[in-house]
Amino acid sequence: MSSTIYLALPVMLALAVLQTAVLPRFPILGMVPQLPLLVALAWGLLRGINEGIVWAFIGGLCLDLFSVAPLGTTALAFMLAITAVTWIENAFPTSRFFLPVVMAALATLIYLFIYLLLLRLLGQPIDLQTVAKLSPTALLHSALILPIYWIMHLLDQLFRPRPIKI
Amino acid sequence: MNLNEAQRRLRWGVFIILVGVAILLTILDNTGNLDAVLRFVQDPLATITGWTAARADSVADLTTGPRDLDTARDEIARLQAEVDVLERENEELREIQGEYQLLLDLFNRARQQPEFTRLTASVIGRDTSPSLRSIIIDKGSDDGVVVGMPVESARGLVGQVFRTTANSAQIVLVTDNASSIPARLGNSRATGLLRGGGLGGSTSIDWVDLTSQIEVGEVALTSGLGGKFPQDIVIGRVIEVDRREAELFQRAIVQPAVEFDALEIVFVITSFRPVDTEIFTNPPGG
Repeated sequence: MSSTIYLALPVMLALAVLQTAVLPRFPILGMVPQLPLLVALAWGLLRGINEGIVWAFIGGLCLDLFSVAPLGTTALAFMLAITAVTWIENAFPTSRFFLPVVMAALATLIYLFIYLLLLRLLGQPIDLQTVAKLSPTALLHSALILPIYWIMHLLDQLFRPRPIKI
Repeated sequence: MNLNEAQRRLRWGVFIILVGVAILLTILDNTGNLDAVLRFVQDPLATITGWTAARADSVADLTTGPRDLDTARDEIARLQAEVDVLERENEELREIQGEYQLLLDLFNRARQQPEFTRLTASVIGRDTSPSLRSIIIDKGSDDGVVVGMPVESARGLVGQVFRTTANSAQIVLVTDNASSIPARLGNSRATGLLRGGGLGGSTSIDWVDLTSQIEVGEVALTSGLGGKFPQDIVIGRVIEVDRREAELFQRAIVQPAVEFDALEIVFVITSFRPVDTEIFTNPPGG
């Protein structure tokens, strides 16, 4: 696990910069995807819950650096969402297509619920309209997870220790 | 203890520690104890974000039109800037007309709006949160930007400085859910509290007295009450009035004058220092 933590930091920092400076200029159907959530989810599905949580934590903290939300709120919501979906992962049929798509939608909805709840608890006046407006992001994430899962799969192959013949 | 048991314990250990750290960070940041650390981390990131945003602008320009239309696009941009200035002048003229109608001209002349010093800044980032509305600009405390300073664009009020680093600042937009600004309407002179609608809702002026006759199309301005914003900065225009006789107050839905999604340049009003009204909230002798 330790080797990919060093990978998570630059990847998530770069994604956070993209998230604040680039993605809002190119919204997809009026929505901005949360790339760090999808990357952490894909990594968690490929490498297990432990690494998924660490990537979610780092990704959330990096995002919070560019937000007026208190530091740690996104990290907390990301971690809980990814823990929840990887926890119930076994309940779904193992499929490289079906699993990430469903997991992305579920993780997004859980993340949004926890994140908005946290903001509400911290005094932000979040209303139901905001929840309704953000819910379609789950569909967008379902569509985007496959290329991201594929890229992360390649990265996983690159960093996975290779067997040595003796 | 077998290997599976050890792995399970490690997994939960990592999870509990990270959740604990996240909660601790949230509490520390919410109580303002992480400001120095955040400034230290955000400074180099602001430089990278600024550079990335400039490249993204170039790409966005390329995707919105072919390069051989550069001259036409420059001309459109120039004309658009002129239209912005004229629209703003028009709104200011409407405001003056409203003052004449209420015979308050003499009083208002006595307290003419001072000439504010403005610092031009580029927008280099937007809030990464899906539900919060803020922007990041490329000017910070080294340029004289202080928390609480009002920020406007050529069209009107943008928001208020929330946090600064040496070379960047986060601005909470007037459309953010948590934003509330004392506002006044140009013709009816009605006052209320401008609240941001956030992502799903609309920006509105709440708590307006029922006796005020609000008209659709009226200009909404900052009232200056509370000392957090200078008065008479254009906010937008009333597009709907929510008036129910059974209630004590009415509400005006406002269309902000600023197009927040297209913001590229803003002005920080550096000569205006928000007034600290906390002293009035404490009881005498307390």
